[in-house]
Amino acid sequence: MPDTWTRGHTGAFGVAARIITIWAILGGIVLLAVVAMNVISVVGAVFGKPFPGDFEMTEVGVAVAAFAFLPYCQLTDANVTADIFTAHARPRTIALFKLLASLVALLFAAMLLWRMYEGMGNQREYGYTTAILQFPSWTAYIPILISLALLVVAAFVTLIENGRRAAHD
Amino acid sequence: MIDSLYLGLGGLAVLVALIAIRMPIAYSMILVGGIGITLVNGPALVLNQLKTLAYGQFSVYDLSVVPMFILMGALASRAGLSQDLFRGANAWLGWMRGGTAMAAIAGCAGFGAVCGSSLATASTMGKVALPELKRYNYSGALATGSLAAGGVLGILIPPSVVLIIYAIIVEANIVTMFAAALLPGLLAVLLFILTIAIYVAIWPEAGPRHDGVNRAEFRAATLGVIPVVAIFGIVLGGIYGGFFNPTPAAAVGVALVWIYGIFKRSIRTGELIGSLLETASTTGMIYLILLGAELMKIFMSRIGLPQATAQWIIESGLAPMTVMFLLLMALVLLGCLMDSLSMILLVIPFFWPVLVDLNGGLYQAADGAGFGMSTEDLKIWFGILALIVVELGLITPPVGMNVFVISAMAKDIPMIETFKGVMPFFGAELLRVALLLAFPAFTLWLPRLLAG
Repeated sequence: MPDTWTRGHTGAFGVAARIITIWAILGGIVLLAVVAMNVISVVGAVFGKPFPGDFEMTEVGVAVAAFAFLPYCQLTDANVTADIFTAHARPRTIALFKLLASLVALLFAAMLLWRMYEGMGNQREYGYTTAILQFPSWTAYIPILISLALLVVAAFVTLIENGRRAAHD
Repeated sequence: MIDSLYLGLGGLAVLVALIAIRMPIAYSMILVGGIGITLVNGPALVLNQLKTLAYGQFSVYDLSVVPMFILMGALASRAGLSQDLFRGANAWLGWMRGGTAMAAIAGCAGFGAVCGSSLATASTMGKVALPELKRYNYSGALATGSLAAGGVLGILIPPSVVLIIYAIIVEANIVTMFAAALLPGLLAVLLFILTIAIYVAIWPEAGPRHDGVNRAEFRAATLGVIPVVAIFGIVLGGIYGGFFNPTPAAAVGVALVWIYGIFKRSIRTGELIGSLLETASTTGMIYLILLGAELMKIFMSRIGLPQATAQWIIESGLAPMTVMFLLLMALVLLGCLMDSLSMILLVIPFFWPVLVDLNGGLYQAADGAGFGMSTEDLKIWFGILALIVVELGLITPPVGMNVFVISAMAKDIPMIETFKGVMPFFGAELLRVALLLAFPAFTLWLPRLLAG
């Protein structure tokens, strides 16, 4: 499935696309793990052996998975837009709009990466943990920061590609 | 105060402009919300909030049910559930005039019970039912119209992603909302089937009668539906019966659909990865919109725009039901331009305080309330009505995503035919909204029964 993995990108962008896709699948596997934990918890509860902390680990797991999905969304242009107002615009105009959207995505991703890096520092400093399992919250920020770094990469890839498109058409 | 209200209105105008130039709705909200808060409270506050806001938002427990139901739907659309559902429904209904189109509606309803998305329901059932409808010489308008309309059932019959998001915004119980959605959803199925019956009574050639299936096929087709009914029964029955919360229920649903797919040999590694990537796209999109909506909400509540709007409408002296009607009309119109989820996130924070104030406050009991029901009931009733009207946009011009999806599949049928075919169903939907408006008990009965 080479095309599924690189999403039609070539060279360095192809490598980036492949990493971002694999990262999203890893996020999906985290989600599957949360699913499995919940199923075990339900079955366990039937036999009087509930899974302690399933609630809080669901919160952590789903958050980690959701962040891992963001770069893939950016790369595959999955973020929903209202196309109705620009349905008859020239391709070049649309490429310019998309360029602007990629720029906003890039700036936001970079800003969130910076702020959540600080956020991780705070979590660690204050020693926040989840209530039952005492899982240290800052460790969840590590995969999340990687996700945000990949979101910066994804936004950069779309920025350059939309830029090329706007220049060519 | 006046200045900040102008700032809020200006912010909304910029938001609309950004959305109009194809800025993703999530980023439009992030941009306007973030800059808005900066203008009101200075940059330090935004910078500080961004440290934890996204994580806080993404790790809300009630939201965890969203990616799970999305994954369940993604697996279901690959597991071959839709074939079994359609085959079963067709064995029961197919012999009638227009029966195969009715079976498509019933199949959509069944699929909607395991999938929370309208487009997924339309496209999955479309793949299965369109060739059959064509084989039996159904008119293009009726065939594609039924499927585009049937897709809407994906979102009306629980589980429904939009309904979960609504419940989170207005702080309603998800289980209560799911219970409230069930009867109105079944009413839609009934009205759609009646619509087809009337349609073929007027234009008999649109849905020709054909032979029913033989006994062996009838038995096999009926048995084939049992696993789907069982999955639905365990997941939603478990939620309604209070055996488990929506999140564990959704997890069990994912597991059951997956196991079904393994038994049918329809879900292998490739399909699993496809499901995970589809879940990634949809979940990522929804979560990013949620983050943007949160920033917008902070901005708007800091300048008090929703409260000011509510105050303004109260002072206008309009009757509660008139306001309700106007709000629903606004949702229908907006639904023609935007996707339903972004719209719910954008407008419910404005609309809901208006209704609460008109009703007499958040803790108003039924006696002396503006709408003649407690605010808790109003929350449920309005949620279901809003859910129905935002989905109307899926089958009406100019956007009509369901129509686009089905049209893309039936290339030999012009899109105008599909829009024509969908119109009777649009009429049925308006009738349903009128019925639910006139008889709130229809929506409120099941949640009350389950609450004991």
